[in-house]
Amino acid sequence: MSVRSGKAPHDDWAAALEIDDLTVAYNSRPAIWDIDLRVPEGVLMAVIGPNGAGKSTLIKAALKLIPRAAGTVRFYGQPYEQVRGLVGYVPQRGSVDWDFPTTALDVVSMGLYGRLGWIRRPGQGDRESAMHALQQVGMQDFADRQISQLSGGQQQRTFLARALVQDARIYLMDEPFAAVDAVTERAIITILRELRARGKTVVVVHHDLQTAPEYFDWVTLLNVEIVASGPIAATFTPDNLRQTYGGRVAYLHEGQRIAGLEDE
Amino acid sequence: MFFVEEVVIQLLLNFVAREELNAFLRDPQHTATIVGSLIAVSGALLGTFLLLRGMSLTSDAISHTVLLGIVVAFILMGSVFGQHPDLSSVWLIVGAAAAGVATVLLTELIYRSGLVKQDAALGLAFPLLFAIAVILVSRVVSDVHLDEDAVMVGEIGVAWANTNSHCLSGCESVTITPDDPRAELTRQCTNCRDLGISPRDDKAEFTEICTNCGQYSPAQAWQAGFTEQEPALVFWPKSITVMAVMTLLTLLAIVLFYKELKLSTFDPTLAAALGFRPTLLHYGLMVLVSLVAVGAFDAVGSILVVAFFIIPPAAAYLLTDRLPRMLVYSSLIGAAGAYTGYDLARGNLLGIANLSDILAGLNDLFGLGLSESWDSSISASMVLMTFFFFLVAWTFSPKYGLVSTMLRRRNQRRSFDHQVVLGHIHHHQGSASASEELAASTLYRHFRWTPAKMQRTLRQLRARNLVQIEANLVSLTERGETHAHQFRETQLTNESVGE
Amino acid sequence: MTGNDKLTTKNRRSDRSSDRRIWLLIAAIALVATLFVPFSQFVLQVEYDYTLRTVALGGSLLGIVSGVLGCFAVLRRQSLLGDALSHAALPGVAIAFLLAGRDLGLLLIGAGVTSWLGVYFIRLVTGTTRIKQDAAMGIVLAAWFAAGIALLVYIQARPDASQAGLDTFIFGQAAAIVEGDVRLIAAVGAVAFIVLGLFWKEFKLITFDPEFAGANGFRVNLLSLLLSTLIVAAIVLGLQLAGVILMVGMLIASGIAARQWTNQLGQMVILSAVFGAFAGGVGAIVSAVDADVPTGPLIVVVAFLLVAVSLGFAPGRGLVWTLLRQRSDRRLFAAQTMLQDLYHYALDHGRADLPAPEPFLVGVRGATAREGLRQLQARGHAQRSNGAWMLTPAGIEAAARDDRNHLLWSVYRQYGDDLALPVVGEDRQQDIADVLPPAAVAKLEYKLDTIRNAAASSAQQQPQTGAVTDH
Repeated sequence: MSVRSGKAPHDDWAAALEIDDLTVAYNSRPAIWDIDLRVPEGVLMAVIGPNGAGKSTLIKAALKLIPRAAGTVRFYGQPYEQVRGLVGYVPQRGSVDWDFPTTALDVVSMGLYGRLGWIRRPGQGDRESAMHALQQVGMQDFADRQISQLSGGQQQRTFLARALVQDARIYLMDEPFAAVDAVTERAIITILRELRARGKTVVVVHHDLQTAPEYFDWVTLLNVEIVASGPIAATFTPDNLRQTYGGRVAYLHEGQRIAGLEDE
Repeated sequence: MFFVEEVVIQLLLNFVAREELNAFLRDPQHTATIVGSLIAVSGALLGTFLLLRGMSLTSDAISHTVLLGIVVAFILMGSVFGQHPDLSSVWLIVGAAAAGVATVLLTELIYRSGLVKQDAALGLAFPLLFAIAVILVSRVVSDVHLDEDAVMVGEIGVAWANTNSHCLSGCESVTITPDDPRAELTRQCTNCRDLGISPRDDKAEFTEICTNCGQYSPAQAWQAGFTEQEPALVFWPKSITVMAVMTLLTLLAIVLFYKELKLSTFDPTLAAALGFRPTLLHYGLMVLVSLVAVGAFDAVGSILVVAFFIIPPAAAYLLTDRLPRMLVYSSLIGAAGAYTGYDLARGNLLGIANLSDILAGLNDLFGLGLSESWDSSISASMVLMTFFFFLVAWTFSPKYGLVSTMLRRRNQRRSFDHQVVLGHIHHHQGSASASEELAASTLYRHFRWTPAKMQRTLRQLRARNLVQIEANLVSLTERGETHAHQFRETQLTNESVGE
Repeated sequence: MTGNDKLTTKNRRSDRSSDRRIWLLIAAIALVATLFVPFSQFVLQVEYDYTLRTVALGGSLLGIVSGVLGCFAVLRRQSLLGDALSHAALPGVAIAFLLAGRDLGLLLIGAGVTSWLGVYFIRLVTGTTRIKQDAAMGIVLAAWFAAGIALLVYIQARPDASQAGLDTFIFGQAAAIVEGDVRLIAAVGAVAFIVLGLFWKEFKLITFDPEFAGANGFRVNLLSLLLSTLIVAAIVLGLQLAGVILMVGMLIASGIAARQWTNQLGQMVILSAVFGAFAGGVGAIVSAVDADVPTGPLIVVVAFLLVAVSLGFAPGRGLVWTLLRQRSDRRLFAAQTMLQDLYHYALDHGRADLPAPEPFLVGVRGATAREGLRQLQARGHAQRSNGAWMLTPAGIEAAARDDRNHLLWSVYRQYGDDLALPVVGEDRQQDIADVLPPAAVAKLEYKLDTIRNAAASSAQQQPQTGAVTDH
């Protein structure tokens, strides 16, 4: 997985993910609009915004899963195709059929398919690293469980393990905290912090304003356009939130107090 | 049914003479077109609701399994009453309706087990019921009406020949008894065969038998010369009555329960909350579908009928957004398909082209040696014409057609491109990176567009006086500024607040 | 960690037993199939001549091919697409016959081409209009089939039509299969399986999670096209035996049946092949008994019997199994509830072996009480005397253990974070010692005792202070 050394046009700091002028439209209506975003290496970043703000669209467009109307996306200064191995992806849990006949371990080893490339099959070593990833999310006991017999949180952790096994440098996660139990939420956040400690970059679509300041150190506020992006202390301000969520900001005060933002 | 036909005939005779009516009905084309249109209209009306409920393929399943209902009723009738019923018998219709409901129930049973997905449940249920029906047909039933060809294509072409005769005047039916002077009596040897002797033998015993005794219908009586006056008869095809009744039932149900059907189609939960029993409506709809399918079975067979449920509503769906219009349009499209389909079976495509000529042309070009007279299934041709109208609607629908969509997309894409560029300039104007982001010669790179596309877009924007280029630096004009602002106000903020 | 190890080995064991189950099942089917041969010979009076052997072999091979590929149709929720595509093959058969006469290979190529046009049409309609997938499939099914019928009726007017036997494609006819056909089926099937084997990993991934496959750089559209092509090939091959109308049954039934017995794709595919071979072979042989009965319907009926048995009796998933498990769950919960009821009733009234009157218990719990008490009696945890129920010493011990387990779980829920215990899912039906390491349990027990002591001392103080204020 060698990264070809390419020069990034904006070299103020090393950007793990760099998005320029990205616009995505569904039926000629903009879902995200002229996004400029730089995610520095090693941060744990939340993408926050109201429903329909284009949070998932942003991630999918970055991974070229949906066509872009305009703009460029670079990971470590390279187009996505050349650095696929450096990028891990956790889709929304609802995007697959959990009744599929396969085990948790097998789902995790799917994370290795991209590295294996065409036709080659996963071997014993691959199974071991999949098992190790399951262990990391506390799921080793469920390795041979059929995936429909897992709880929602366990399914989410399986997805997370599948991304871990990719051993990427940057992870994009689409709502990993959506509808999970407390155990899973804690397990996920532990993993996220471990990833950051190992110098990985993590971008998480998140919808819970209460927990955002506690979990993340970087934030992008998105509502079709970028409202603000930067370190959470400086960016997660009532002003910016009001700009993101419009008039519905009233109930946020509670969350900010809990998060200790009013001290600042 | 007989009585209904009588009333209708009396009504019609106010406008046409009896001979004309008979001649009209005896023309295969007329009867076939009438029956086909009735099938098409009732199918289209029901199919509209099926389409909107996402249940189009349920009609496919039901039309297959109606065969099972018919066969089972047929066998039961045979063993209970000792006679096989006519295909328009009420019992067959009841059996078919039951089979239709059974299909839906079986599907739901399989699906409810939670072990099988919905599409697979349907894909399991109806092949099974149809398979049983086909086995029964091939093993038990040897009647011509239930052979495999009839299952496939029906007999709409000969629907005119299967009639009830209605007598208007001179309706003297005659019964000849041995006492009647007109009776022809003859003697027959009763023991000749047993004893192997000739009738002239002394031991031969004789009995008197009547060769022409029995009941004579008015027509038979006249032909046999028992009556003076020729009876005035009208021969009314049974299929017309059956399908007319089904169509009327469908119409009646839709008119009466229009509101309930609409609500339970759009929002079953609300319908249930308001006490409209969506499940009951669901099964009612399924019963109607089964009735139309069994009524149509005789004419178009078990499989082609599904076309009348699915294709016209799909075409109408592309033409209008409103339910009442959709019902009307799909009925019209179905009827038009039936009307023009008869001609297609004889090779005539809407009077534009003749298939026989095309076949001849193919033979000339490639030397295929194909038979040059096109004479094919009427029911299949009706389906093909309906499909043709679907293609027309798909291509030319003013709102959802391919052509109009293509034109609209092109316009939208152009105006969207304009907005993207305006938005970009607006975003970066006056910022530190402006010189890098807004250089006219390299602007295309920021969008990953081709230089030609960017040039074209900039040209159009300049023509609209929205941007200006000075020293290779693009900037918004005053007008462009307002334009970009307006767009942000309407498009972007609405989107987020609206959801 | 001992608890974890125990669980893991238990899972592993159940996994291996499921593997063994599959092989047992396959052996059972092989046995039934072997027994079926003499049965058909002596009861059904089938004569195993060359023709029948060919037919049976062809039926089994087709069953294998459609069983294997049908699994993917089922998992991709494309069961009904199979129906539409098999109908859509009919005009292809007719056109190929018109152009080239009755050559099976060419007929099948024709069938494949029009099926493919059907797939393309469905994609085009759903892609450019608001017509949904199901209606689009219905349109293809009806219109293509009508075109096929129109062409067949046209062909039947030809002098050589009778020997064409094209109507066998509508309902399927086993007798029409000759040795050359079997070779063709085997060859096409082998190619399909090689492709499937090569792209196994990719097919699995795009079937399970196409989005993730796309993010990992796999060409999802291309793979999906390839897989659809294989499915079309299976449909087209099966037409001659099952017919266009019932092909969908042959395609999906064995996959659905196989799915009930296993949770692994590989095993599902193998089992589906076995089921398919059985249904295809048996169906073809039985239909040879009476030439009037077309083969397709018989295969579908045999396949559906396999589905019915699987839905009913597949271990762990089947309906019978589910009912049994629900009943035993109900018993278990009833017993547990009554154990606690008896225990607390007795403790509240002084000592643990105090009897509780039956009418009271039934009055509170109803049917659960009767069921639960019966269970407790059977286990020797409770006994009945004079219309009242009391716990036996064994029962008291079990109740105390259960009670303590519940308490520890609630302490874990409240103080687990403070005590920095490992995070596990809460499950009161499990012994907490099986889930948490011993050190953690010890911490919880200590905490529980502290809480109890605090509660006890405050309870002691409470009356005193109350007494003081009273004076």
